Amino acid sequence: MELWQFMLIVGSLLAVLLAFIWCALLLRGLQQQPKQAKSEDPTKAYTAAAERDIEHIFDQQFREELRNRGRLLFEKIISDNAMFLQQDLRLTSSQLNEFMKQEITKTLQDEFAKYETSITDAKQLAIDSIEKTQAAIEQQRQLLSTQLQKEIAEERARHIARFDKNMAEIVNHYILEAIGTQIDLDDQLEYIMSDLEANKKAILEDIEHGA
Amino acid sequence: MAPKSNTAKVTLPLAVVGKTEVLHLIQEIDALDTFFAQAKIRSAGSAVVPPKLSQLLEELAKQNDVNLIQEESRKILKAGLEHIIAHAPTVHISFATTPSQRFLSKVTAWFRKEIHSDTLLQVGLQPSIAAGCMVRTTNKFFDLSLRRFLTGQTEKLASEFSGAKHG
Repeated sequence: MELWQFMLIVGSLLAVLLAFIWCALLLRGLQQQPKQAKSEDPTKAYTAAAERDIEHIFDQQFREELRNRGRLLFEKIISDNAMFLQQDLRLTSSQLNEFMKQEITKTLQDEFAKYETSITDAKQLAIDSIEKTQAAIEQQRQLLSTQLQKEIAEERARHIARFDKNMAEIVNHYILEAIGTQIDLDDQLEYIMSDLEANKKAILEDIEHGA
Repeated sequence: MAPKSNTAKVTLPLAVVGKTEVLHLIQEIDALDTFFAQAKIRSAGSAVVPPKLSQLLEELAKQNDVNLIQEESRKILKAGLEHIIAHAPTVHISFATTPSQRFLSKVTAWFRKEIHSDTLLQVGLQPSIAAGCMVRTTNKFFDLSLRRFLTGQTEKLASEFSGAKHG
């Protein structure tokens, strides 16, 4: 027998010894641990166990399931709220329309009332103005009529006076226009001679003095 | 038969109304004088044509009993006419239309009988007087027209007009 064989045998014997000692220690530890667990609260023990094994309970699949459920619930809540919001919006819109109608109608009625009042005032003002103008025109017409009558009377008097003053001239002109060229001088001879005879003395005196 | 002196009175015929005719007569007498002067110069036997006398000159010679062949008579007649031109009164008389010769003769006759025997008329035309005449002497103006007559009848005209208006 060689050395190395010997050493191998010795080493194997030592290893078996060490393994025996380790197993003895491990069994001793397991016998002491249940004694300690029996003395604590079971809920806490579960909680502690869950905490210790949380990764096993809430695994990836479970989280995904939870996430899906949350999403669906959230969508449902959103949908319900949207419907409520839509109804509320419709109601509000309807009320707003009604309110707007009432307000606009009221405003328009007020404005129309004001407009009617303004129109009435303006109409009355215009009527007053027209009446005043008519009165002024009537007054002016009467004044002008009086003046015109007065001027016509004066003009008439002037014309009559002028006619009286120039009557001989007018008649003479009329005769001249009517029969001016038809009066024969021979027919006037007697009249001319009588006129010359009537002025004979004056003519004679002037001829003698002039001579 | 010649007038007795160089300043013998020349009686104008009624056809001679104004200065124009008198000057024309003087020209005619001058023409006669010239003719007779030329006749003296001409040789005997040559034909001469005496100037034709106007009716006025013949009437003047006849009215004044003057022989126009005699030079002295012509001189006296001419002197008388020139005297008339220089001294005769001139009366301006206007009518509405041109008077006829007969009418003018009657008017001239009246003036020469009633005013002055040598009265000369200057006849004018004034259509605006319608009827009658207007006489202007040296210093005076006589309106003998219808207009003046009507002016004197204003009241009567007014009453006539008033009657015509109301009647």
